[in-house]
Amino acid sequence: MIVIQPPESLHELEDNDLDALMADLVADLNATEEKLAAEIKGLKTPSPTTSDLPPPTPASSAASSLPPPPPQNAKPTKEEIEAQMKADKIKLALEKLKEAKVKKLVVKVLMNDGSSKTLMVDERQNVREVLDNLFEKTHCDCNVDWSLCETNPELQLDRTFEDHENLVEPLSAWMRDSENQVLFQERGEKYEVFKNPQNFYLWKKDKRALKDIKDKDKEILIQENFCGTSIIVPDLEGVLHLKEDGKKSWKQRLFQLRASGIYYVPKGKTKSSRDLVCFLQFDNVNVYYGKDFKTKYKAPTDFCFVLKHPQIQKESQYIKYLCCDDARTMNLWVTGIRIAKYGVSLYENYKTAEKKAAVNSVWMNRSTPSSSNPSTPSPTIKDPAFPPPPPSLPAKSSSRPVAPQHKLPANFPPPPMAMDNLPPPPLPPPIDDSPEAPPDFLPPPPPAAGFGSLPPPPLSMNSLPPPPHFGGMDQSLPPPPPDPEFLPPPPPEPVFTGAGAPPPPPPPPPPPPAQAAAVPRAPVRPSGSVRKVPPAPPKRTTPSLQVGGGGGGGDFMSELMVAMQKKRGDH
Amino acid sequence: MEKKIRRFNTSKRGKQGADIMAAWDLSVTVEDLGPDTPPVSLSVTSDLHVGGVILKLVEKTQIKRDWSDHALWWEQKQCWLLRTAWSLEKYGIHADARLHFMPQHKPLKLGLPNGITLRLHACYSSPVFQTVMHICRMLNIRHPEELSLLRPIEEKKKKKDKDSTEEIYDLTEVPLSSASRPCLYNGMPAHFADSPQMEAVYKMLSVTQPPPAPEVIAKQYRPASVVDKAHINGRWLDSSRCLMQQGIQENDRLWLRFKYFTFYDIEPKYDVVRLTQLYEQARWAILLEDIDCTEEEMMLFGALQYHISKVSQSEPQMLSSSAAMDDLESALQSLEVKMEGESSSASEMLENMTAPELNDYLKIFRPKRLTLKGYKQYWFKFQDTSISYFKSKEESIGEPIQQINLKGCEVAPDVNMAAQKFLIRLLIPAPEGMNEVYLRCENEQQYAQWMAGCRLASKGKSLADNSYQSEIQSIHSFLAMQKTNSSSHGNAPANDESINTHSLVSPRYHKKYKAKQLTPRILDAYQNVAQLSLTDAVMRFIQVWQALPDFGLSYIVVRFKGSRKDEVLGIAPNRLIRIDLGVGDVVKTWRYNNMKQWNVNWDIRQMAIEFEGNVNIAFSCVTADCKIVHEFIGGYIFMSTRSREKSDVLNEELFHKLTGGHEAL
Repeated sequence: MIVIQPPESLHELEDNDLDALMADLVADLNATEEKLAAEIKGLKTPSPTTSDLPPPTPASSAASSLPPPPPQNAKPTKEEIEAQMKADKIKLALEKLKEAKVKKLVVKVLMNDGSSKTLMVDERQNVREVLDNLFEKTHCDCNVDWSLCETNPELQLDRTFEDHENLVEPLSAWMRDSENQVLFQERGEKYEVFKNPQNFYLWKKDKRALKDIKDKDKEILIQENFCGTSIIVPDLEGVLHLKEDGKKSWKQRLFQLRASGIYYVPKGKTKSSRDLVCFLQFDNVNVYYGKDFKTKYKAPTDFCFVLKHPQIQKESQYIKYLCCDDARTMNLWVTGIRIAKYGVSLYENYKTAEKKAAVNSVWMNRSTPSSSNPSTPSPTIKDPAFPPPPPSLPAKSSSRPVAPQHKLPANFPPPPMAMDNLPPPPLPPPIDDSPEAPPDFLPPPPPAAGFGSLPPPPLSMNSLPPPPHFGGMDQSLPPPPPDPEFLPPPPPEPVFTGAGAPPPPPPPPPPPPAQAAAVPRAPVRPSGSVRKVPPAPPKRTTPSLQVGGGGGGGDFMSELMVAMQKKRGDH
Repeated sequence: MEKKIRRFNTSKRGKQGADIMAAWDLSVTVEDLGPDTPPVSLSVTSDLHVGGVILKLVEKTQIKRDWSDHALWWEQKQCWLLRTAWSLEKYGIHADARLHFMPQHKPLKLGLPNGITLRLHACYSSPVFQTVMHICRMLNIRHPEELSLLRPIEEKKKKKDKDSTEEIYDLTEVPLSSASRPCLYNGMPAHFADSPQMEAVYKMLSVTQPPPAPEVIAKQYRPASVVDKAHINGRWLDSSRCLMQQGIQENDRLWLRFKYFTFYDIEPKYDVVRLTQLYEQARWAILLEDIDCTEEEMMLFGALQYHISKVSQSEPQMLSSSAAMDDLESALQSLEVKMEGESSSASEMLENMTAPELNDYLKIFRPKRLTLKGYKQYWFKFQDTSISYFKSKEESIGEPIQQINLKGCEVAPDVNMAAQKFLIRLLIPAPEGMNEVYLRCENEQQYAQWMAGCRLASKGKSLADNSYQSEIQSIHSFLAMQKTNSSSHGNAPANDESINTHSLVSPRYHKKYKAKQLTPRILDAYQNVAQLSLTDAVMRFIQVWQALPDFGLSYIVVRFKGSRKDEVLGIAPNRLIRIDLGVGDVVKTWRYNNMKQWNVNWDIRQMAIEFEGNVNIAFSCVTADCKIVHEFIGGYIFMSTRSREKSDVLNEELFHKLTGGHEAL
């Protein structure tokens, strides 16, 4: 349940827990200190001689105690080697110094089944690493929805930590007597925007149309909004209820979400950007879900969210309470705010989580092949995305390229739209008013002939819409010949019919989709740093402790020692 | 020159191959002989090919020179006779034809996004799409398909004297190269390395311009409504026809602008000119309120402009330095210095590693406390990210009265140079809420140091951070700005120390705020961007611009089929929107990826678009030719087909296929 406790609560710890932790910490610290001492000793010795214009140093004394022994008789550039060595040592020393100051917390994480796990988290670890650690301990299915959440019972708030967030920092903001908890849960809303981007980016469209959206269109939405130069925030706008500062009443305002913050339309003003008043910017606040605010704050509905500085733990006029009409609106806003605040990190987190899930599902599949990647309608599943070929072009299906090649254009990250999706351009009107290039204007459009004769059949033409019908004039003119080979949009390869250049080679086979490629690979981030964590202590019901303290290792060490001795003495 | 001969249907001129070929006189005006020289008369037969005509013509003029760029222009039909193998008959030329013999490349005045005008040789005979490609190649701008040429807005001819003094950079000496990519020399195309003058031109292209004087901004045309913006889009040239066909004459002025707002594969290393000009176009779009933004966003744009102009003065080339490397470098250096010294134990080393401190007497005031004591003086110590204070300097060894950690706090300036008021307003988060604390400094120097410390600490950085000194510097320069703004106003910016903040925001804010009122607001926004390198700052500007809700919309006034009033069609990189002019609201959105086909009925100038799910729309265009609308839509679909593998090769044919009208195919 609780993470941070005053030192007195050490007494409540069970012995074996403490012992395990202690042993680990002592070993860790001793090693660090020893190394550090060695480093400094080593560094000090050569320094007087290597000062400005270093003559070759008989570096034997330094070498003996140091991990990387310097080459005794380096011929060509001793200065360089020494400089390098020195730099290495300094770097190492710096790392060790940092290590010694690293803050560590023992965190108790509440599981779904009511049980709990205790972990040691150091301040360099991000939530993703902690989740990976929990995956190892819990044998869950590792799907992307697994999240770490923090709750604040006093304010009736909760939020999921983002995977790139550092865990120790927000936990350090909790008060000593805090009843806040860390939960390990599946939260569908965490990455919903990547599974069903249409619900966020096309939220104005009617629900039925959104349900039937093709996977390919989802992918395009993600490309457009998360893979461009700039991250695009859903264009949310609507009336929300705002709890007035320090008052009990709720007031309606027309709010707008922009990448730069939340704005509202002042009374009597237009919605134009220049009239908007900034309600809040995201630099210093986090967004939380509010629970049961109808009772607590007399909110119009229970679909509330809150924006506050992470350090604020009690009721305050600096907390902004907003209330939506329904759950969908609330999720839209909370997700939109997260996109605005975290930007591309969110998408990167998702991709990492997805890889993790994919690796795991490979493992799972070995035993149970039927269970595949449970909760990720990932972009890797492509084939259903392709619309059936238009019925009006039955002849074309024979010339369609082999299936895997369809994916070719869809897989390139940058273009927001795949080639196979091209609407055909309108044909030029068959007006012959220019003597410049008469042949081009004669009824049968020349590109048909040009492309039909070229060896590599254009790829990704599988879903071409029917050729465009002619505009107004066509009645008086012969219709285009029913040429089955006539494919309105040309192939992606530039084909210069007249030029001397040889036809370009057929495009290379498509690269496998990014996610699929990653499947057989090992998880990206080795969880080495997590290994230092002591073996999971047995479950316990008592609150755990805070270890550490930014200043120096000595404090918590002595604290622990005292606690241990006391404990021993009691026995 | 075009060597290709196409098979074609000659049904219209079925009498081809007639045996009797009578000679007749063809008169051709040779431009190089001067405007007053009468046309040269040639005796020709109808089966003489165009190449033969040119040969005869050149012989007759008796001028020895390179005629290879010259070609015949048929005035009545407004077309070039570029197929030299075609006979006069095939072209349908008779004795009444008025032909002009002139170079295909002529000087053109080209207004760049940064407001500078170039004079260069452009091709007047190839489709504008190709002409733009050539220009971009010369200027070293990648992805020319995103740009096009725009007829400039007529300037009010009130003050002619000013226009005549405009500086024009001359590039007409640049040889017309046929290489697909110019070879680089010193990071710029070789033709820019020829002379110091040319290098200056390249510098102008690749370095951002200083902020314009507020009067310059105020004088520029600003679209006041969506309809005004729509009118500008009626000025785009037709990409599938050549300049001559669109009535552009030698030495006419055109604007080169980014037209399609999908900037593909931006790579600061290769895109110095492209990025600079893109930034300039974005900057002017903001300054002239071509795109709407909020006040907060305007302040950020202002801060970025300030930063970019400052950094580009000190950092001539766009180079992104790696901040991480610098960090390590400086850390190692400082450590090295300490190593050489006397440190002997770990604890001592830790001591030396700790951040520098600030110690001074300051005055503190807590507005929320009910005590009406006002400011009280204490001895303050700034260490790491915390401020502690003591009764006096002597007591500073003991426990402080209070220690305040500034991490995550909000810092706001409250400075009045004239009144010598230097206040730092802090909003410090605590479990119970935010605590307000004001710190009062005595003078500018003290203020700059403590303010810089507070700024860094709020972001979790200590005084040891290598950005501390630059933070102090930027605070000083903003204070200087306030000084100059209060003493004199309306001065054109001379150097970075005296930038008028009105140069950084749109005229709306000139009216709303005085320059010195803007200073603290821009400074506030500046804190978040002050550490960016030049390239990163330019990229950030473009990103914030791209994140604006109205970004990428090109407006056209249209009349939907069955509707009785004008409405606005917004064309974006991924969708079309329909805007009700009365309310100003977006009524409908259609995405291209749901588009099945679109057609242009050139006869009645109407566009019809079919979307999935049996959605059909049709409209005629009011403020622009339907070719322009058609080209926008086709162009965006073309942009979406670009892929990384083939980014070097521009599929010109596909572009014309998607955007072309009559003449394209």
